[in-house]
Amino acid sequence: MIVGLGMTALGKVYDRTPADFAADAVRRAVADAGLQLADVDGLLTSSGVTGGISVDLQRDLGVADLRLLSHLQSYGATAATMVQVAALAVASGAASVVACVFADSPLRPGTSAGAAYGTRAGSPVGWWGLLGASGVVGTNPLYALAARRHMARFGTTTEQFGHIAVAQRGWAALNPDAQQRQPITLADHQSSRWIAEPLRLLDCCLVSNGGIAVIVTTAERAGGLPQPPVHVLGWAQSHPGHYLRRHPDFGLVTGAAMAGPAALGMAGVALTDVDVVQLYDCYTFTVLVTLEDYGFCGKGEGGPFVASGVLGPDGKLRLNTGGGQLSGYYLWGMTPVAEAIIQARGQGGERQADRHDIVLVSGNGGVLDHHATLVLGSAAGAS
Amino acid sequence: MTVGPVARDAATARFFDGTAAGQFLLRRCPAGHFSEPPAVACTTCASAELGWAPAAGGATLVSWTVVWGRSSSDAGPERTVLVIGELDEGPWWWSQLAGADPASLAVGQRLRIEFRRGTDDHEAVPVFALA
Repeated sequence: MIVGLGMTALGKVYDRTPADFAADAVRRAVADAGLQLADVDGLLTSSGVTGGISVDLQRDLGVADLRLLSHLQSYGATAATMVQVAALAVASGAASVVACVFADSPLRPGTSAGAAYGTRAGSPVGWWGLLGASGVVGTNPLYALAARRHMARFGTTTEQFGHIAVAQRGWAALNPDAQQRQPITLADHQSSRWIAEPLRLLDCCLVSNGGIAVIVTTAERAGGLPQPPVHVLGWAQSHPGHYLRRHPDFGLVTGAAMAGPAALGMAGVALTDVDVVQLYDCYTFTVLVTLEDYGFCGKGEGGPFVASGVLGPDGKLRLNTGGGQLSGYYLWGMTPVAEAIIQARGQGGERQADRHDIVLVSGNGGVLDHHATLVLGSAAGAS
Repeated sequence: MTVGPVARDAATARFFDGTAAGQFLLRRCPAGHFSEPPAVACTTCASAELGWAPAAGGATLVSWTVVWGRSSSDAGPERTVLVIGELDEGPWWWSQLAGADPASLAVGQRLRIEFRRGTDDHEAVPVFALA
């Protein structure tokens, strides 16, 4: 179960390396758990677009004789995957206290957020060079192609995407850690500039610096620790495996369609038992298609569903309650994982969901190429 | 519309020999399945015995996006239409669409492959045009 959560300062925090953020996050998570660094015998690391994190983090933390140490990479699915691997490790006895950490620092003073993600290093050579020479640069156009395909097939609209952006900004207003807290309207969304049609600026996630770590341990070890334990009840992954290849489901169905039911089945709960949902939201579209794939609405009905008033603090679906990556902060898969832990503990303050016993979490990597689902539960949810 | 510079490496040398000759080369396995040019295993049967075979050059539109630049000259930000085209042989390809009004695009429209160079000393890059 998850007994510790450590979050560094997030957002426009400059002049710190990813490794510095990562070590800071692990120290905060260990302290939050009421443990000592010397108790950690497992470490899983994950880096973002700027890299800079590796198994060398062990040395930076000064922890000796680890029994589990690895650097994982399935992009936005890595955070949920780290929690899965940590849960397996403590269940098997391979380790007893596992720290999982992600950190990144792409933002630089005086440069745009887009500049942090839109460039490809080095001279253009080979297949990657050809993609760039063809004009396909960065992630935005690839997600735009996915979103357009959904729109063309199902009639989904940019206004429907806008409902997601507006709802999550409403949640972010209640989250002191969120980077963008001023309210927005559907008209603001519709007048925000095009990035890659059909995606507007307000359809795209933020870019953030920072680090987040979680501590996973056994039920025995969790007893007597200060924080309400968060049970890891279910998990599953799905990796369709067609990146930049013909893929009939591209933009229409994601790995969440396989992994969601599998994870809920492992947890022994139904979708109707889920109290809080934290979805990976690199774009508004990602939220919409994941809601469909998890079964919150029928396939192709995501547009009308998100426009039906179900979202936001006044809606009945407790979705991306911290503002998500769109309005909160963008630390890849750790954004939904961290907010899920906060909600399951009941520590969400103004944004806390009344019922928070079962929390469904998604991770998404590549261009809908890697998916990981977690089902987390409070003590009551686990019983 | 402009394409950027790109240089060949060992993996792309045969493909760029093709584009220089006006051919879009696909991979083909012994069973006759076609795969995208960068594939190293058949995307249908996973065979690793892939040869090269030229595409006929026809395609249909799978999806499209208009990418907006940030620079705002008098003419407004630069806009580039990018598409996924499904080649008639089956594989998909990602590139620019030349000379099309994005407001007129629809899934299933017929496309054809053309070739453009950034400058004479760069490799020829496949792009799409309306057929």
